[in-house]
Amino acid sequence: MDYLVHHMLHTSARRLADKVALVHGEERLTYREVALRVKGLANGLNNAGIGPSERVGIYLEPSIAQVISIFGVSEAGAAFVPINAVLLRDQVTHIIRDCGMKALITTRAKLTSILDSLSEMPTLEFIVLFDVELPTNLSCRVYRLEDLCADQPTASRRQERISKDLAAILYTSGSTGRPKGVMLSHANIIAGATIVSTYLEITEEERILAILPFSFDAGLNQLMSAFLCGSTLILMTFTFAREIVQMLLRERVTGLAGVPTLWSLLAQPTSTLSRQELPDLRYITNTGGAMPQPILKTLRQTLTTTRIFLMYGLTEAFRSTYLPPEELDRRPTSMGRAIPDTEILVLREDGSQCTPGEIGELVHRGPTVSLGYWGRSEDTARVLRPNPLLAPELGDCERVCYSGDLVKMDEDGFLYFIGRRDTMIKSSGFRISPTEVEDALFKTGKIRSAAVIGVPDEMLGQAIKAFVVPRDGEQIDQAQLISQCAERLPRYMLPKNIEILDELPKTSSGKVDYPALRRREVG
Amino acid sequence: MSGNDNMRDRIQGFILERFPLARKQHFDHQTPLLDGGLLDSLGILDVVGFIEDSFEITLNDDELLPENFQTISHLVAFVARKRSEKQLPTA
Repeated sequence: MDYLVHHMLHTSARRLADKVALVHGEERLTYREVALRVKGLANGLNNAGIGPSERVGIYLEPSIAQVISIFGVSEAGAAFVPINAVLLRDQVTHIIRDCGMKALITTRAKLTSILDSLSEMPTLEFIVLFDVELPTNLSCRVYRLEDLCADQPTASRRQERISKDLAAILYTSGSTGRPKGVMLSHANIIAGATIVSTYLEITEEERILAILPFSFDAGLNQLMSAFLCGSTLILMTFTFAREIVQMLLRERVTGLAGVPTLWSLLAQPTSTLSRQELPDLRYITNTGGAMPQPILKTLRQTLTTTRIFLMYGLTEAFRSTYLPPEELDRRPTSMGRAIPDTEILVLREDGSQCTPGEIGELVHRGPTVSLGYWGRSEDTARVLRPNPLLAPELGDCERVCYSGDLVKMDEDGFLYFIGRRDTMIKSSGFRISPTEVEDALFKTGKIRSAAVIGVPDEMLGQAIKAFVVPRDGEQIDQAQLISQCAERLPRYMLPKNIEILDELPKTSSGKVDYPALRRREVG
Repeated sequence: MSGNDNMRDRIQGFILERFPLARKQHFDHQTPLLDGGLLDSLGILDVVGFIEDSFEITLNDDELLPENFQTISHLVAFVARKRSEKQLPTA
């Protein structure tokens, strides 16, 4: 029985030992080879002092080492924390501090970029580097990943974990404050892989191209689904959309998951996608925002033999809905219906159920509801609440996830996205809290107040727009302000546009009136 | 100053402004943009947007090739070629 994340790997390795599990460039590893390294790394991490449920960060570009690390941490009984490779020092430092990380697996170049903040990470006991050469001047212990992967078990027995234990923490932004760590149990991750691979009908014949990061719930789910089913996962980083088309051809890819920005790039009239036959591409999935209708139409015309699945999920509940491809004609604007073994409720403010067509909050119940936010019980209690529809005799035995997304449901149970309850921004698949961007603007020292909103953008879904009020006597140059923000913020968080105002609009209670700013953009 | 010099300065200025990594190293029109992660996929979109707005041209997906984005010099040559196809005067 597979009840821990790494069990899925070992079951596939027993069944399909010599099958290629991972492809990255010219590198190919079979399930047997992956399983062997993962076992070694788990021993190595335990020998280095990693104990049950301790947090191990993985700050690597997409690579075979990254996948080995994820499963190795799981097998060591610890919790993996994937950190998106595009994040910069401020965000990485926050994550390491927030979850009290004990070890970090990274590269020498990435380590250099956060070195100045190492003193602010008191819990970090050691670093594992992917590189051959190790630095000698660090205040904490350093190991080489290859060495740890060859470790033997020690005499002391590893404490066994169960499926309810913490397996991973995924950091994601909300509407305010800094990113929060969503805690996923082994059961959450396995349920997600089982459910999604069931409706996508993934088999061991599948060759899945992974371009979504593993720090993102849909990206992690893709990896887990592939390993559960014994499929081959192809890893890549890309700069130009055409590199993806080349890879689809070269590796005869059968499945690809992407966010709307990617599909917009691939669906451009001049894209190489329109000139290639891709008979092997069995399915594509979209997540991380609604796919624009013209893009969907183009993809359907171009990829005539490919099934298109529109999906929706939020990290706090891992995966939630999907639209079966056969419904695309009838309900192209729908975000689909509940995934198997999951119920999606649309609730009014008072907790009662909306009637069809009535707008309410999407509430998710099922086995992928996460364990909440690491170290933030108050925030957790706001998002994960007792099921209001449960018979009182059952008590509050079940927590359901309040998404903050406003939706309506049709008579057949299909959902339609209306908007957010709060100010959270979604751009190129990333969740962005306005406060993170506002903080970076404040840190320039040039402005008195700032408010950041998302504005509709053809390519990104939403683009970031900032309104700022300069400090008295400050002359503000927009380009320079963006440039200063770029020191602290990863690209996806940078404002595309900054407008200078004399005063920000305020509500009667004196808070920034975000709806007024949004209306200003639309009007 | 010739049109191409002006173009080079504007593109270089934009990249220095938006890409902090460029500021942390010696950076000129011969510096590789694609090696070492200076420009990533979202970064390319920003550069393309800037070039389209600044030089009144539209870049097609089939022109978004690594060879056109190797260095600022490559970009300038590419933009100049596009502008001459449209018979626009040098920038």
